[in-house]
Amino acid sequence: MTNNKSFIQVRNLVKEYKTAYALRGVSMTVEKGQWINIMGPSGSGKSTLLNIIGGLDNSTSGDVIIDSTDVEALDEDHLAIFRREQIGFIFQQSHLIPYLTAVENVMLAQYFHSMADEEEAGEALKRVGLGQRLHHRPSQLSGGEQQRICIARALINSPGILLADEPTGNLDRDNTEIILELLDSIHREDHFTIVLVTHDPFVSKWGDRVLQMEDGHIVGDEFIKERVKGA
Amino acid sequence: MINSIIYEAQLIGFKEGIKAGLVWLVFYSYLLSNDRKSLAKSFYTGISLSLLLGLSFLLFPESPVSGDFIGNIISMSFALFLIFSGAALYHASGVDLFVFRDGMRSEFVIRTLVFSLTVIFFLPDFTGSAVYLNELAELKENTFMTAVSAAAGIMIAAVIIFSFVRLYKPFWLGSFFAFPQLLLFLAMVKLFGSGIKGISELSLIPSVQRGFIKFIHDLVHQTFVMLMVPDHPLLKKTTWDFIGTFFGPGFASIASLFILLALPALFINHTLFRPLPEPPARTNIARRKTRALMLSDRRKKAVPVIFFMVFIISAWFSYGGEKVLQVYDPEPRPVVADNGVIVIPLKDPVTDVMDGRLHKFSFVHEGEEVRVMVIKKADNSLSVCLDACEICPPSGYGQRDDHVVCLYCSTPIPVNTLGRAGGCNPVPLAADIGDGFIRIELKEIIKKWGFVNSGR
Ligand SMILES: Nc1ncnc2c1ncn2[C@@H]1O[C@H](COP(=O)(O)OP(=O)(O)OP(=O)(O)O)[C@@H](O)[C@H]1O
Ligand SMILES: [Mg+2]
Repeated sequence: MTNNKSFIQVRNLVKEYKTAYALRGVSMTVEKGQWINIMGPSGSGKSTLLNIIGGLDNSTSGDVIIDSTDVEALDEDHLAIFRREQIGFIFQQSHLIPYLTAVENVMLAQYFHSMADEEEAGEALKRVGLGQRLHHRPSQLSGGEQQRICIARALINSPGILLADEPTGNLDRDNTEIILELLDSIHREDHFTIVLVTHDPFVSKWGDRVLQMEDGHIVGDEFIKERVKGA
Repeated sequence: MINSIIYEAQLIGFKEGIKAGLVWLVFYSYLLSNDRKSLAKSFYTGISLSLLLGLSFLLFPESPVSGDFIGNIISMSFALFLIFSGAALYHASGVDLFVFRDGMRSEFVIRTLVFSLTVIFFLPDFTGSAVYLNELAELKENTFMTAVSAAAGIMIAAVIIFSFVRLYKPFWLGSFFAFPQLLLFLAMVKLFGSGIKGISELSLIPSVQRGFIKFIHDLVHQTFVMLMVPDHPLLKKTTWDFIGTFFGPGFASIASLFILLALPALFINHTLFRPLPEPPARTNIARRKTRALMLSDRRKKAVPVIFFMVFIISAWFSYGGEKVLQVYDPEPRPVVADNGVIVIPLKDPVTDVMDGRLHKFSFVHEGEEVRVMVIKKADNSLSVCLDACEICPPSGYGQRDDHVVCLYCSTPIPVNTLGRAGGCNPVPLAADIGDGFIRIELKEIIKKWGFVNSGR
C-alpha cells in the first residue's frame, strides 16, 4: 500500500493521551496534487492526524514523511522553516488579526515567510473575489468573506500542501459552496495537495478521494470517480 | 616594582592579544561566509611575520625607531584603512573604481592583498608595543619579567578568545561583513586599540583634526606662494581672522567629523534606502524570497557601518570635540640683560621650563617689548625662539596640544619642528643651555627681532 514516491506518507501513526488514544495506528499515502477529504464522527482523530501532518503536534509513534522529509525528525528551527515553506493552514475559526485589514492580514503571512508585498497580497485577495474589500477589517466582513481571506492567506506563500480543518464548519450551504468552488478552481490552476477534514458529507462532493475515520482508525478509503463541480 | 611591571606589561600583551584575536575572529568569519577559508593562510603568514618583526625590536636595547615615529605610522595606517574602506564602500554602493575591477581579482592578487593588509595592520602595532615594552624593561631594569608578563598577557587574551569561540561559535558574524565593512572594522580597531601606551591613547581624532587644519592653512599659503605674492603682509588681520576660522580648531573639528562620516553616510544612503533591484525570478515566492534575502543582507552589512558612525561620533564628542579648542597663551615673564646676556633659569620655585608648556619671557628694548619663547620638544631638547615670525605682525604664539599657533594668522606649527627658520616659523635663537640656565646673547635677540615684521 505504501508507495515510496508518494508525496505524503503516514506510517503506523499512534497518538496516545493519558486517558485515551486519538490515533491507533494510521497509515496512508497521498499523491502530489491530490485533494483528499477526511471524514468521520466527532472525536475520531481527524484533527489530530491533520495537526501531526502539519507539524503542529507530535505523534506517540509512527512516521510522517512529506516530500522525502521526516517531519518529526526535524528540530524546532527546521520545522518552522518546513511549515513556512510547505504548509498552508485553514481552520474553522478564521484566526484573522482583528485590527489588521484584509490585505494586512495576508501581508503578515508574507512577512513571516520572507517579506511583505502589498501588491502581491492585493492580487491574491482579488483572486478570491475580495478585490473591493482589501482595506476592510475582519469584523466588517461576513464569515464567508473572512474564510476567503484565510484561503488567500494560506496560499500566499505557494505551499505544497493545504491543510484545512472544517473550513466551512461555520458557514451556511451557499457560502460553503462558494468557498469550495473557489478552492476547486484555484486547485485546478495551482495543483497543490489538499487534506481537508470535515464531518459534513456535502463537502466531500469536492475533491478526489474520501478517507473515513472512526475511533483512531481508517475504516474507509474511496476515490471519487467523477468530480462534482459547478454541475 | 615588580608588580607594576607585571601589570603594565601584561596589559600591553593582553591588549595586543585581544586585538589580534578579534581581528582574526571577524576575518575568519568573513572568509567562512564567503567560502574562502583558504585565504586564512595569507592572514596567518602576515600576522606571524608582523609578530616576528615586531618582537625583533625587543632585542635592541636602544630601539632604532622612536615611539613617535610608530605613532605616526599608526595614524597613517588608520587613515589608510579609512580611505581604503571609504573607497570600497563607495564601490559597494555601485560605483566602479578601477582597483576593484574583476580582472584584478586573480588569486595571487587577493592573497597578496590579504597578506599585505595584515602586515600593514599588525606590524606598526606590534612594533609599537615592543618598543614600549623595551622602554618599560629599561626603566624598571628587568627585561625578563617584562617579557614574561607580556607573554602572559597574550596568553590570557588567547584563552579568552579561544573559549569564547568554542562556547558561542560566533561565526555568523561573517554575514555582517563585506570587504569594505571589514576594512572599516580594521580602521575602528586601529582607532580605538592602537595607542602605543595602553588604551588611553585614543588620540587619532585630534590628529585628523590637526592634519586638516594644517592642510587648509598650507592650501591658502601655498596658493599665495605660487602667485608669488607675500600673503601675510597683504592680508590684514581681519582677513586672516576670517580665513583663520576655516583652519581654526572649531571648524576643523566639525570638518574632520564630516570627513570621517561622509562616506559611511553616503554608503548607508546608497544601499539602505535605494529601491531593491528586481530579481530575475519566475514565481512570486522566489522573487519575494530573493528580495527578502537582499534586504536582510543589505541591512546586516549596514550594521558595522552604522556602528562605525556611532563610535566616531561618540569619540568625537568625548575626546576630540573640546580638547583641541583651547589655546594656551601665558603671560610673558620679565627678564633683564646681565652683561649683554639674558639668563633664564631652567627651574625656579614658580616654573619649570621643561614642563612641556609654552613659556614666554619679555624685556623692553628702545621702548618696544621683545618676547622670547621656550618650550620643550618631544625629544627632551629645548627650543628657544622669538615669540614672533618674519611675516606676521608680532602677535606671538599660543600653545595647542603639541602645536604652537600663530595668534595673528592661526597657523599651527608642530612643536617638534621648532628651530626651523623662515616663513611662519617662530624665529629660532642661538642659545647656550647648560648647568641649569638658558643663556641668550642680547645682540642675537635684537638682531633677529629686527627681521620681524613691525606690523606697521
Ligand atoms: N489535548 C488532548 N488531551 C486529551 N485528549 C485529547 C486531546 N486532544 C484530543 N484529544 C482526544 O483525542 C480524540 C481525537 O480528537 P480530535 O480532535 O482529533 O477529533 P476530531 O475527529 O477532530 O473531532 P471533531 O470532529 O469533533 O473535531 C478525542 O477523543 C479527543 O477527546
Ligand atoms: Mg476536529
